[in-house]
Amino acid sequence: MLISWRYRERKSLIQKFDPRAWLIFFALYLVCTLQFWDLRYLAGLLVIALFFVFTSGIEWKETRRVWYFIGGFVLFFSALTFLTGRGGVEVYTVEHSIVVLKAPFTILGWQPTLNITAERTAFAISIMMRVFAMVSMTILIPYSLDPALYGVAFRRLGMPDKFAYGMDLTMRFIPTLGRDFSLTMDAQRARGYEIEKLKGGLIEQIRKLAPLIVPVTIHAIAGSEDVIDAMDLRAFGVGPRTWLTELRYQKHDYILIALGILLAVTCVTLALFGYGKFWVPPFLLNLAH
Amino acid sequence: MRKGLISVVASLLAVLAFFILIVYVGGLINPDLQLDETALLRFVFVAIGLVIVFLVYLATRSSHIWEVGTREVVYMGIGAALYAVFSYLFNGTVFVVPSVSQVALRPAIAIPMFFGYTFGPAVGFFTGAVGNMFGDALTGFSLSPQWSVGNGLVGMIAGMAWLFADKKKGINVVLIISAVLAAAGTLLYIFNRAQPNTMFYDVPNGIFGDAPISVFAGVSVVAGFLLVLVIRIIFRKDINVAAAVTWSMLGNIIGLGFAAISDIWINGYSPAVAIVGEFLPAAGPNLLFAAILVPILVASYDAVQVQMGR
Repeated sequence: MLISWRYRERKSLIQKFDPRAWLIFFALYLVCTLQFWDLRYLAGLLVIALFFVFTSGIEWKETRRVWYFIGGFVLFFSALTFLTGRGGVEVYTVEHSIVVLKAPFTILGWQPTLNITAERTAFAISIMMRVFAMVSMTILIPYSLDPALYGVAFRRLGMPDKFAYGMDLTMRFIPTLGRDFSLTMDAQRARGYEIEKLKGGLIEQIRKLAPLIVPVTIHAIAGSEDVIDAMDLRAFGVGPRTWLTELRYQKHDYILIALGILLAVTCVTLALFGYGKFWVPPFLLNLAH
Repeated sequence: MRKGLISVVASLLAVLAFFILIVYVGGLINPDLQLDETALLRFVFVAIGLVIVFLVYLATRSSHIWEVGTREVVYMGIGAALYAVFSYLFNGTVFVVPSVSQVALRPAIAIPMFFGYTFGPAVGFFTGAVGNMFGDALTGFSLSPQWSVGNGLVGMIAGMAWLFADKKKGINVVLIISAVLAAAGTLLYIFNRAQPNTMFYDVPNGIFGDAPISVFAGVSVVAGFLLVLVIRIIFRKDINVAAAVTWSMLGNIIGLGFAAISDIWINGYSPAVAIVGEFLPAAGPNLLFAAILVPILVASYDAVQVQMGR
């Protein structure tokens, strides 16, 4: 049995577009986000992402868990970067200290010290914006792209038939295999298998992952016989594939693609000229003086 | 095919024209313009990786291993989805699988190796590359497309095992190449022992890829190689398992080597950091998974095949 993403038709801006136009825009958007560490540029990109999120018609209660999970994860990471100052060493070398908080106690001769610097603060905010911008755009796809159009969208983007269908199957199998994994996990737990308490040396621990990985993999391969038969019966791969739905670009699709290209060209040009590198707001630097 | 080729060439020319224009216009505005292309380099390396894949395909295309039928298309989909799901589940957020001596457990890598070896290089490449891409998307981490291509290479090379009619000969060649590469990487470690392990994150203890590499992580590629050798000797009768393990090892060394070396330009790592700090701690543990999980998968699949009569 296949289970699917929580797609449904919504009255939203994003679903007015052709899926190809949307995928092209998404790819160009990611290219843009990867260019920058400057939080001013990232804020601009985040605004674009939030615009699409708020006009997408996806309700809070549908995506609540995803946002909590990712939000918690990103906050945790950026907070730790902020507190320890590690993780940002690639983009800045000089630090301007704002406050040094020293704990009034020592643990085994180690005095916890919190050195808040302008760079760490700015970096924590930048990384949060960067990840949130990319995640917001990515989350939209499973909720707003019609699963029936995956294959034809990839095909009409110029991929070969078989490759397009492979992509289609990948996107359809991910939720199903995720469900299979948790079923297998429950079944093995019922038999006393505890992944949280793997014991033994490294090799022993790896071997003990097999009861989880092997059944899921083999079950997926054995179960795929039905899919293969169904495809063979419909003469898959014999001639050029046709699709029930035809995709046609409308005027607004061309506008979206044009905007995406414009955005990407601007961002790449700015990055090539050296703009958009890590930036610390002056007021933070002033605080440091 | 011809029409596709023309459009590819046309878009490449358009990109080239764009860069020439930037250099020209930028030069008019600012005569001492220094272009900063580091952010774009990752896409350049994706292109380089894809060219490598294409050249390997061209060189060996007469072989039947590249045939892609219905069966292979479905296995591509399943493999990539499995790889994405496993890398999402085992990336340290959903399950916290303990790490031993700076070696994080990433069992998902066994999937592209197994799919590549069992179903051919095309399936292996798709599983690794597309699966890694979707895995990144599920996790919400930043995208590193050059690592997707590296993972694709792992699966593709694992599938090249069937190029050799005489598998034993193939295994021996692969073992020699892998031994040389593993020894070279480890030699670099011996001369650069103070490098940080960029793959090791231990958030509760405040380690973000900057702790000095542990001895075990440093020699893990050699340890993995020896383990593969042991498996090869134990399974000398079962040539299928022996070939799966050795070819997975070569794929892992070359695929991750490609991704790590590309970081010399992309992240501005020195060659020592790229090899010692990134390649060794990533590739070494993967070899342990190749040596342990891949044989179990191959043996289970053989059993299922017998059962299903296919």
